[in-house]
Amino acid sequence: MFTEITAGAFVLVLALLGLLVPLILIVARAAGARKLAIALILAAVSAGCVVAVGGLLGQTAPVLDFSRAAPFSFSLAVDPLSAFFLLLVSAVAIPVTLFGGSYFELHQPEPRRRWTWIFYSWFLLSMIVVVTAATGFAFLVGWELMTLVSAALILVEGDSEERRHNVFIYLLMMHAGAAAVAAAFFLFLPFSHSLDLSALRAAGAALPGGIRAAIFLSAFVGFGTKAGLIPLHLWLPRAHPLAPSPVSALMSGIMLKTAVYGFVRFAFDFLAGGPSWFGYVVLLAGAVSGLLGVLYAIAEHDLKRLLAYHSVENIGIIYLGLGTSLLFLSNHAPLWASLALIAALLHTFNHALFKSLLFLGAGAISAAAHTIDLEELGGLLRRMPITGTTFLIACCSIVGLPLFNGFISEWLTFRSFLAGSVLTNTRAQIVLPLMVGVLALIGGLAAACFVKAFGVAFLGRSRSAEAEHAVEAPVPMRIGMTMLAAACVLIGILPGILLHPLVSLGQALIPGSGVPEETLIIARVIPWTAAIILGVVVIAVLPKRTHRMVPTWGCGFSQLTSRMQYTSTAFSKPIRFVFTRVYRPDRKVERLPTDQPYFPVSISYRSVRTTSFEKSLYRPFVEGVVWLAQGLRRAQTGNIQMYLLYIFLALVSLLAFLRFQP
Amino acid sequence: MGLVGIATGKVLSSFSVFLFLTILLLAVARRISTSVLLFSLQSAVITAEVLATAIQEKLAEAWVVGLLVFAIKVVAIPRAFFVLARRLKTVRDVKASTTPTQSVFIVAVMIYLSYAGVHSYGQAVHVPDDALAAAVALILTGAFLMVSRTKAIMQMLGLLVLENGIFLAALITTFGMPLVIEIGIFFDILMGLLLMGIFSFRISDTFDHLDVSKLRRLRG
Amino acid sequence: MNLALDLAQALLIVLCAPLVRGIIARWKAILQRRRGASIWRPYAELFKLFRKEDLVPPTSSAIFRVAPAVLFGATVCAAAFIPVLQPSALLASRGDFFLLVYLLALARFFLSLGALDGGSAFGGMGASREALVSSLAEAPLLLGLAAVAILAHRAELAGMAAWTLEQNVFDVSAVHILALTSLAMVTLAETGRMPVDNPTTHLELTMIHEGMVLEYSGPSLALVEWSAAIKLHLMLALLVALFFPWGMTSHISGWGLAGALLFYALKVVALMALVSVIESAVAKLRMYLVPDFLGVASAVSALAVIFTVLVKR
Repeated sequence: MFTEITAGAFVLVLALLGLLVPLILIVARAAGARKLAIALILAAVSAGCVVAVGGLLGQTAPVLDFSRAAPFSFSLAVDPLSAFFLLLVSAVAIPVTLFGGSYFELHQPEPRRRWTWIFYSWFLLSMIVVVTAATGFAFLVGWELMTLVSAALILVEGDSEERRHNVFIYLLMMHAGAAAVAAAFFLFLPFSHSLDLSALRAAGAALPGGIRAAIFLSAFVGFGTKAGLIPLHLWLPRAHPLAPSPVSALMSGIMLKTAVYGFVRFAFDFLAGGPSWFGYVVLLAGAVSGLLGVLYAIAEHDLKRLLAYHSVENIGIIYLGLGTSLLFLSNHAPLWASLALIAALLHTFNHALFKSLLFLGAGAISAAAHTIDLEELGGLLRRMPITGTTFLIACCSIVGLPLFNGFISEWLTFRSFLAGSVLTNTRAQIVLPLMVGVLALIGGLAAACFVKAFGVAFLGRSRSAEAEHAVEAPVPMRIGMTMLAAACVLIGILPGILLHPLVSLGQALIPGSGVPEETLIIARVIPWTAAIILGVVVIAVLPKRTHRMVPTWGCGFSQLTSRMQYTSTAFSKPIRFVFTRVYRPDRKVERLPTDQPYFPVSISYRSVRTTSFEKSLYRPFVEGVVWLAQGLRRAQTGNIQMYLLYIFLALVSLLAFLRFQP
Repeated sequence: MGLVGIATGKVLSSFSVFLFLTILLLAVARRISTSVLLFSLQSAVITAEVLATAIQEKLAEAWVVGLLVFAIKVVAIPRAFFVLARRLKTVRDVKASTTPTQSVFIVAVMIYLSYAGVHSYGQAVHVPDDALAAAVALILTGAFLMVSRTKAIMQMLGLLVLENGIFLAALITTFGMPLVIEIGIFFDILMGLLLMGIFSFRISDTFDHLDVSKLRRLRG
Repeated sequence: MNLALDLAQALLIVLCAPLVRGIIARWKAILQRRRGASIWRPYAELFKLFRKEDLVPPTSSAIFRVAPAVLFGATVCAAAFIPVLQPSALLASRGDFFLLVYLLALARFFLSLGALDGGSAFGGMGASREALVSSLAEAPLLLGLAAVAILAHRAELAGMAAWTLEQNVFDVSAVHILALTSLAMVTLAETGRMPVDNPTTHLELTMIHEGMVLEYSGPSLALVEWSAAIKLHLMLALLVALFFPWGMTSHISGWGLAGALLFYALKVVALMALVSVIESAVAKLRMYLVPDFLGVASAVSALAVIFTVLVKR
């Protein structure tokens, strides 16, 4: 009975998102039609939640087979891993859609708005298809659709030269990644008779070592491009800030997670671990992405680019957990492998929640103050209390402070590193506890960055007239943000809600593991900690105290203006100074007029930070490809006799091959 | 076994810890006086080790060696260094060419390498890993000090630390060298120091400083 | 009975914290050949501040008013983790050192936000420098504690203290010495003592922690000062519990508890004397030399972790 309900709900989801909503939007032009479309999208994702919860509770997976309608086998199924990610997609989509309903009203004129909603529903559809795909073909279709539709969503916003250039880079890197993913699928073909996930799982058990390594590497590179691992992250800070905020929330919150889903599917489900170098490669990538991501984020003062780099950092943390799990698997410790995997998956879910909330907050800020440059904001908390409070909750969560959900997953990751000390392999015994230091440094720098982001944007005095007159966001936007914030706090205080299904998921993916007791420990101690802290805070805040308004201390100077506050660039200067080798800025100071250096009329300072990867990795690579292409161009002489010669040579070599074939 | 017995046992098993500490602190020391003090502490620990060996192995020669080490390396040489530094009127700073963070990471890697290097050897010779690794680490640290500190005085100190390491390695693997060889090594070092002291005065008189990195200006 | 004792331990840390501060200030004064204030002076300060009214800058928001309370709550909760008289505490058997360190991070996060809320340059300066110091100090702190935890095979503070209790006091372990060195350096950095920060400075341009609390007054300032004192006492008690816990009682009895209290007082007094001497003997580091200081602490703690494998104990 329940299976039929979930199967029916699944069909409903696909039909609504795929067909009904776009149809309504294309056909009818009234405002009421748009509201109906939004309501249908909400209904669809809610149905998706139902399906996901059903899948997590262990109900038989509903399988939808569209193979007769498509040239290759195309079917969708919901097994526990898919159910978890489907829950992630649907649960985060609900508040984002609510937010978007009101955001797009304010921001986009009519014809663009319709197309935005059409692409929006197809975007959700593509992500659901990727996560529930049961055959390789379905997966790749959904994968490509995600890229194309998100690029369309970015282009609907506007059509400037810079925007087109960045979308071009985005499409280029995504297609390169998709090629690697397709290669990973096709490498299975000699050993498996079809690309169904169950066939791939069966074939994965008996692969020769070289093919296993090749599949792992192409899956790692392909999914790493989509996830934003360094050095494949170049598209992230270009694409995420350009999209409208609800779409950025979906891209950063959900689309990156589909890459994590793909990697988990390949590494844990199909290949079931591998030699220990798999784990070390993933650990290294995670550590580098985490550190460099947060260092680049600290230097940013554009709020959306800052958040985009933080996505790189959090993907790094997720990959740290995945690498640890692979390392434990190769050392035959399934219990700890399960712990590390649970930590990584929980961080995936938490990141989806708080990153979407952060992007929605950025959207509310840009709607109110018409800018997302931190140097122009300030004092927003008093004018936008709800937005500010939810943004604060998201900041606390992403930093990993206790009582919020980010802490739970980071704590589990720390404990899994510490568990590495009981292995017998010396190298793992040394490397894994040292990762505690790496993650601690990442966490400390992230805390510094978000003190800066929240403090400069919401606290103090307003730095521009726009911020001075900012207005609180409309009710639907507030509702969407509050829902996500409540979820962050709920998972932070009662983590058992998500840990319980994750433990069963871990047992399904890694055979032979039990219930890691760390998941039980944290579920027991956090409510007590929360009770103590809240008790003390209430006691401290409760007594009625008189207070008087007195101007801020300015060392005797009374006319303090907003320009005397610390700016975002000033706040991050000490950290940027210490890590100067990472940034390597090009600095230019220009004094005018140039013939009077001691009496300048104006001094301008320009500092350009290009991430060093562009200079040292990409440019040489691109130049190499161009050189190769130019070399090949010499074969195209334009002379017709040369072309006839090529055909003649081809025939001769074919005859020679046939003659001398063994 | 008695209190003395317990004490010697503990000294023999735990002293390498203190040697590692002095090595790490030498890597980050920023004043000449601090470095010399650390060197004399190091020598004191080695003296304790020699005396503990003397008590445990009941060797009379080892007592003499221990007293010699104490008199020369813990008392005489540091005093000579302080006098030298004052007479040369050198600036107190050590003038390292690596920052403290880099130095301490390099020294940490050297300690790890010395452990990795002596692991197989130590098992073959039935010698505790810790002590032999401490000796090798001392040798490597002495070499590192000579390379990274650009003052002539600090290079002398590096040589002395290196000699400490060689002495300790010899002590552990043979449990007491013949006295003659010990005295020979001491005289070697003394001669070397004497010569270096004389040359330091000459260099300082001629060039007014002891910065070894500026020797490059002497090139033709 | 056990619950009452655990509560008493936490209250001991919280209530005796101003006394720790007063004693250190008094000894520093004596070392500087002054007479110094009475050791009960911080209590008098707190009483005075609690009776005054709050002065609030007009640009501030709710964060300014709530931050001291959250800071105090998180620090008091962290104090509930440390075993003092017996190898267990209120949360020590369930919570581990990661939760302890991150509770202190929660406290520091809200303090920094409160500093930026004042809208002055000094708050921003203090918060920015504190961000530098704290982000670099977290790694050695967690690595040092992890090294000790790996030796003890458990991460709960109660378990770590109990394991160390069982060891022979003369069995000096390289891991413990290295971890102690790096944790001592981190304690100086985290609690804002010399050579990282001067707690008695009145020059705003040299302040790190004091710069962040410049705007607070009245009961808010009392809470902030008390939290700083609790943090100092907490870190000293943590060092004692992890590295010199001998003297703690495992079974509850009148004489046992009195003895444990006496031993604890002696050990903390010794640590306080060390802190006073260090504070009077060294000069404050230039701010861009503090990363070097913390880098040395990181290398030493990383070496401690590596040694847990090399030294089979």
